[in-house]
Amino acid sequence: MKRALKYLTLLAAVVLVAAACSSDDSGSDTTAASDDTTTTAAAGDDTTTTAAAGDDTTTTAAASGDATTIDFWVAFSDEARLGFSEEKAAEFNAKHPEYNVQVTSFASYNDVFDAAVLAVDSGEPPGLIHFFEAATRQALDAVGADGNPIFKSVTDAIAGRTEILGEPVVLDSVVDAARNYYTVDGSFYSMPWNTSSTVMFNNMDILNEAGITEPPATWADVETACAAIMALPDAPSGCITWPNHSWFVEQSLGQQGELLGNNDNGRSARATEVNLESDGNLAYVDWWKGLSDAGYYTYTGLQRDWDGTSNAYLAGEVAMLVYSSSDTTFFDTNAEFTNQASFMPYNGDVDYIGNLIGGATIWMLDGMDQTTEDGALAFLNFFSNPENAAAWHQLTGYIPITQDAVDLLESQGWYDESPNSKVASDQLAAAQNTPASLGALLGNFVGIRDIITIAIEDILVNDVDVATRMAAANEEANKSLSEYELLFGS
Amino acid sequence: MLILGLIVAAVLGPLFVWRNNDNPSARRYGIGSAVAVLGAAVTPLAMGRCAFLEGTSGVDHLLAYGLMAGGAWLALIALQLLFDRADGKKADSAAMTGEIRTGGFRLGWWVPWLLLSPTLIILIVFLYLPAIQTFTLSTKLTKLGAPKSVDVCFSNFTELLITDPWKLVAYPLLAIAAIYGARFWLSRSAPGTWSRKGADIATVLAMLSVFVALYAMFSAGGGGQVAYRPVYLNTVIITIGIVAFGMIGGLAVSYLAFRKIRGGSVYRTLLIWPYAISPAVAGVLFFMIFDPTAGIFTYVMDTWFGIDVPNYRENAFLAQASIILASGWKILGYNILFYLAGLQTVSLDQVEAALIDGASTWQRFMKIVLPALSPITFFLLVTNLTYAFFEVYATIDFMTKGAPAGKTSVAIYEIIRVGVNNGDLGRGAAQSVLLFAAVIAVTIWQFQTSGRRVSYGGS
Repeated sequence: MKRALKYLTLLAAVVLVAAACSSDDSGSDTTAASDDTTTTAAAGDDTTTTAAAGDDTTTTAAASGDATTIDFWVAFSDEARLGFSEEKAAEFNAKHPEYNVQVTSFASYNDVFDAAVLAVDSGEPPGLIHFFEAATRQALDAVGADGNPIFKSVTDAIAGRTEILGEPVVLDSVVDAARNYYTVDGSFYSMPWNTSSTVMFNNMDILNEAGITEPPATWADVETACAAIMALPDAPSGCITWPNHSWFVEQSLGQQGELLGNNDNGRSARATEVNLESDGNLAYVDWWKGLSDAGYYTYTGLQRDWDGTSNAYLAGEVAMLVYSSSDTTFFDTNAEFTNQASFMPYNGDVDYIGNLIGGATIWMLDGMDQTTEDGALAFLNFFSNPENAAAWHQLTGYIPITQDAVDLLESQGWYDESPNSKVASDQLAAAQNTPASLGALLGNFVGIRDIITIAIEDILVNDVDVATRMAAANEEANKSLSEYELLFGS
Repeated sequence: MLILGLIVAAVLGPLFVWRNNDNPSARRYGIGSAVAVLGAAVTPLAMGRCAFLEGTSGVDHLLAYGLMAGGAWLALIALQLLFDRADGKKADSAAMTGEIRTGGFRLGWWVPWLLLSPTLIILIVFLYLPAIQTFTLSTKLTKLGAPKSVDVCFSNFTELLITDPWKLVAYPLLAIAAIYGARFWLSRSAPGTWSRKGADIATVLAMLSVFVALYAMFSAGGGGQVAYRPVYLNTVIITIGIVAFGMIGGLAVSYLAFRKIRGGSVYRTLLIWPYAISPAVAGVLFFMIFDPTAGIFTYVMDTWFGIDVPNYRENAFLAQASIILASGWKILGYNILFYLAGLQTVSLDQVEAALIDGASTWQRFMKIVLPALSPITFFLLVTNLTYAFFEVYATIDFMTKGAPAGKTSVAIYEIIRVGVNNGDLGRGAAQSVLLFAAVIAVTIWQFQTSGRRVSYGGS
């Protein structure tokens, strides 16, 4: 009995501590968040209303009470990027007290989308959601329970206005790479936000030690560099790495001018077939497998492993990392060696066509009243105004999304200060404007990407034949696409 | 084809009545036949006879017959309950066991239902309705946000199986024949003879043949089929691994911790802690230990001993072992908790008597402690299996994401990957139904085999 009591008290203590910890956490979170909003709101009040200084508290209360709420669902959960969205929402709310943009964080793009579709069906949709490039087709096709499309074209909603609620419209200033990717049937359905391209980060300390002064440009250059690096007496454990993510395959197809989907990558008409057996794709995967077999490429063993590959590069375990430009600033700040960004290595045996973008846009849900919709549009244009787009680029490494932002950054001398930040934009500017280098619009793209990464993992780990495995993946991917077209096609 | 099935049901219905009633009348035979036909007809009618339309395969027919047989069987069991009540059998047995039916609700029969309604409503809304929806979804091709869905009948199931209907029937029949054959041999052999030893081995082999038969029934992929055989194999290996490691380890640790040691109570409490950790955290912890770049274990082995530990995610055996280790470790605390409680109920008199008779520690453990713990072992077997089937997703997602090339993708991981991540609701639902069926089958099997050997003390 006594012993049982002792157990019980101990257990109770444990539970209490655990409960206290968790409630502490949530408590501090909410207070921190509300602190943020109050401080920014106060700052806004200071600048806008000096007359009503005596009655500060009541005005803010009234404003927040009557304000039209616009829910903005974001697929970021990290401090920096989610924090940026929350900060900009708070600034917007302070500037436009009649609106209240509320940011909610989700774990992934898919989670945001699923939640949005369900919210539409239950009658309480958000105003804006953050959704990624590969699912553009899926977002265009999505309908609610009533059969109407869930999203509304941003171009249509702006309807030629150059200013909404005092916020200048920036849609016309969007850089070409993003404009061409996201323009479907001649109009922007969604507002581009985080947009990046693949670049290679080079540990120049190791490269220089191996006698290489410039980052490798072609596949053959990478192999030469790796042979030299791995021959070093204090060679790193691998030479190069990148995440096993279908995006890199798509980039390589763009570089080599190969189409992933038929009908001009799904841009002249809906794509009904996908091709994973093109010469370009086989050449890329062959090269990848060759690097792996030679001990040059380090596979972390996980699909879509952004963290593991990034850690390996920062820890000096590999000399080169092919990655998203979205983390340029992160590498510049955290690398304890000379970090130099360069173009993604390409196949020197064929003509270079062009790399494509990646990232996400902000979609506006259909069915808002005019006031709410105008608020949402004003927020979108505020969110990507030159100052904000430039700040976003500097914070992360995603490309500055408008030409105005590029001009602003140039006038500030940012690119002289951090040349690595310009690489992604330069690479996109060097691309020809062809369907291949624009990237594919495919149905079930998320599922097809999954099929590609599983096939590549199989090839890297189990030493299976590239052509045979890709043929099997191709069959699977086409089945997946045809099923999608059966459900969504006309 | 459908008519053929119904005729068979009409014949088998009276047979069931004949087996289960002492003096069946012609009327009962008639009712039995009709009820069997009705039960068999429910599923084909609900599905629009889709499995018998043109272009369907033998496997489709087979699944439809299976469902018809199940429907007829359930209907006949319900009918038998009515017959028994009419015969007053229930009252007899109740009186025999001393269970006396007295009292009741003065206000009427509906009172208990009213009192139960909060529970029932919750069960219906959160359990039964979603379950029925899962069954409906499993016959569709559909995605979230799609303007339409397509009825695909059984194809979400048939694509997981081999395409030859004869083999699909033969394999399970062979396994059942093996089990009954072994039982027959067992009943004919006397204890202590070579024949009994052979029969024992045959029994074990017959049990294993069920696993082999299932392995052979799932498709290896290719030709538009889904390669579900590897998923099945991973599930069997990882589930058995987790349950074995968790339970044997749990018993071993609690047996050691049960001894009188200084600070024992603190020690014992600490042992239970892993149970308070979520599967996701367990995954992260072991990831941090074994990760080839950031892992503590790999770092220590490399810097202190100069051993280059291979990447556990690139080797099927290591990947599965690490999942078993992480998941087994997490459930260990739970098992220890119950075994520690159970050890306190073991009769010390018996242990003492055995000690006086000169039984060794091992003998005392095997012959006295283990049988006394059997109710707890049985309970833990059920809960551990449920855990290994349903709660390993997060651990796997953090540790391997199914790597290498799907070698750690177990049934529940595959369901979430297909149904949630890829948004293929129909296939996800079909695989859930399969897992549901597997859990039902395993539970029935447990109650039939282990249940018999469990001693709850008393007479």
